Amino acid sequence: MADNIIEMSGLTRSYGDICALKPLDLQVPGGEWLSVMGHSGSGKSTLLNLMGGLDRPSAGSLHVGGENLSTLTEDGLARFRRDFVGIIFQQHHLVPYLTAVENVMLAQYFHSVPDEAEARSALDRVGLGHRLSNRPGELSGGEQQRVCIARAIINSPKLLLGDEPTGNLDHKSTVMVMDLLRELRAEDKFTIVMVTHNQEVAAWGDRTIYLDDGILVREERMGS
Amino acid sequence: MVAMKLIPHLLSWVAMVLVVLRGFPERRFIVTNASIAGFTAGVAGSFILFRLYPGDLPFGIVRGVVGCVFLLLWGIAVAAVYLNLRELQLFQGKKLVNTASYSGFVAFLASVIAGTVAACRLSGINGNALEFVLLVLASCALAYALAYGAMFAEKMLPASVTVSQPALIATVVALLFFSSSHLIRLDLFSPLSMKVMKFAHDFVHQFFESMLIPDHLFIRSYLWGYIGLLFGKEIGFWGGLIIWFTPVILIFLSIRFELLPSVAHIRQGAQRRKLLAAAIKERQFRLVIPLLALLFFAAAAYRSSFPSVEYWDPKPVPVSANPAGEIFIPKKGEIDLEDGKLHKYLFKQGGTEARFFVLLNSAGQLTVDLDACAICKPDGYGQAEGTVICYYCKTLIPLETVGKPGGCNPVPIPFTVKGDGVHIDGMTMIKIWSATVQATSRIKEGGK
Repeated sequence: MADNIIEMSGLTRSYGDICALKPLDLQVPGGEWLSVMGHSGSGKSTLLNLMGGLDRPSAGSLHVGGENLSTLTEDGLARFRRDFVGIIFQQHHLVPYLTAVENVMLAQYFHSVPDEAEARSALDRVGLGHRLSNRPGELSGGEQQRVCIARAIINSPKLLLGDEPTGNLDHKSTVMVMDLLRELRAEDKFTIVMVTHNQEVAAWGDRTIYLDDGILVREERMGS
Repeated sequence: MVAMKLIPHLLSWVAMVLVVLRGFPERRFIVTNASIAGFTAGVAGSFILFRLYPGDLPFGIVRGVVGCVFLLLWGIAVAAVYLNLRELQLFQGKKLVNTASYSGFVAFLASVIAGTVAACRLSGINGNALEFVLLVLASCALAYALAYGAMFAEKMLPASVTVSQPALIATVVALLFFSSSHLIRLDLFSPLSMKVMKFAHDFVHQFFESMLIPDHLFIRSYLWGYIGLLFGKEIGFWGGLIIWFTPVILIFLSIRFELLPSVAHIRQGAQRRKLLAAAIKERQFRLVIPLLALLFFAAAAYRSSFPSVEYWDPKPVPVSANPAGEIFIPKKGEIDLEDGKLHKYLFKQGGTEARFFVLLNSAGQLTVDLDACAICKPDGYGQAEGTVICYYCKTLIPLETVGKPGGCNPVPIPFTVKGDGVHIDGMTMIKIWSATVQATSRIKEGGK
């Protein structure tokens, strides 16, 4: 139990009459790369939002990194997100009028204090040392996603959440981003939970769970 | 009524206890009890002082003590800036600050002075030994209730608000000044601004005299318009404010630019930045207390510049001279000259109007003086709390010295008391008035 970074029991999320996530039990050990697959509307993003403290469960318990997210206040959730979680979105959500390094520094600012040298070094780690002063509009989709990764890891999160991070990328960029994530995980030892439609992307993880209509229907361990 | 007048003094003391408690959060018991003991000792000491030395001396002593504490604050402020600039830390000083005796000493000393200032409000009370003991016991009981109330309130304050030692001293001094500014005889700001004004006046005077000015060739007449500013009241006021506020501002800046802890040894960037952010936040919260000290100093300066004391300021009664040129004012009549109040008169002769007043001084003798002094613009005098006050420079003149010449004292006029009234030579009055007013007329209206 102590090794699990995420533990949920009877986790439910309803929006009015619609039950997006039906009672779900799941454990994620620390350092694991978990892929979450399923059709549109199967509850993947709902699950991810709950794990990241972006949403609150309707019922059940959810512990992430020892914190009971069901009982945390808004401030507590914000602190949890700031200190514990890094998120990569499909749509990047980079600030268009800030440069790559400034986008990374923005995450530092909301976490603690900005440190440009460290932000530059993070971009260097993701292979964008030569694109520091470029704005998102001047970067390719793959490069933008690498800025997102630098932004997500800059505050040393224990949990990295990805919501279709390669959904908008071509095959070459997808492989590059996935390779990068694997490399970073090996160095920083964080846990990854990644939602994807792509079986090939899911295969980069240690384990894949399949959701259907809010129910965990299948679980597959890679290499087994 | 007296109880109401004590409220600002008591509130200042409670705030002082609260700040000292926050300055020594590990020593709450010692600080609270030392504060109670100090306040009671201050009250008792003050009563003894007033009993032994009736008159203005006890006020002078209390004012002197508060002034010395202000000088101490200046020293601490300069030391804080120096240590900050040199990136030094006094380890011995840190050790001392952490001792129980130091926290108790600070609380006791601050409360002794606060108690003394508060008891000055009761200086007019003359009782026997039993009444004195009862009064001291009552003040002890009140101090006990208030100090424990302050301790309770301090525990409710957010933990993030911490107090550095220089800020603690600054706030204690600001609160002492705020408390003393409610007593016109303990007020320090007006005498300070007057001294600044006098210094500027003397400096400019000596400087220009040494350069043989105003006959100097290079000084054009319009320049006197600017030089005249140095003789105005504003120079005293703003100069006083600078001296008043500078130490607190220095302490504020020394905290603001305090060195952050070294985090270079922490490898993980996020953790390093988090520690830095926490240190910056803690430093920001530590600025709250010196900001409060600034507010209290501002309140004290305001109280001093616009005191709520109602001066006795009678309208001058017109008088005339008899054919022999003598002004006669009866001792008893519509006005009782010996009622201890200042009585103003207006005498006109040959197009000149001279204002003067008659007053029974503290020695029980009548004195006749111009409603003007040899230094200031002749704005006249009012009377308050055992003193007369110059309306121009706000200097307080104890009743004991009214009738003596020099400085800010009202210019004395020769007179005789014969039979049932006061006799003054009208011509002498006009001559002295004209000579005095002519000498001080250079002070411009705008300088008021």
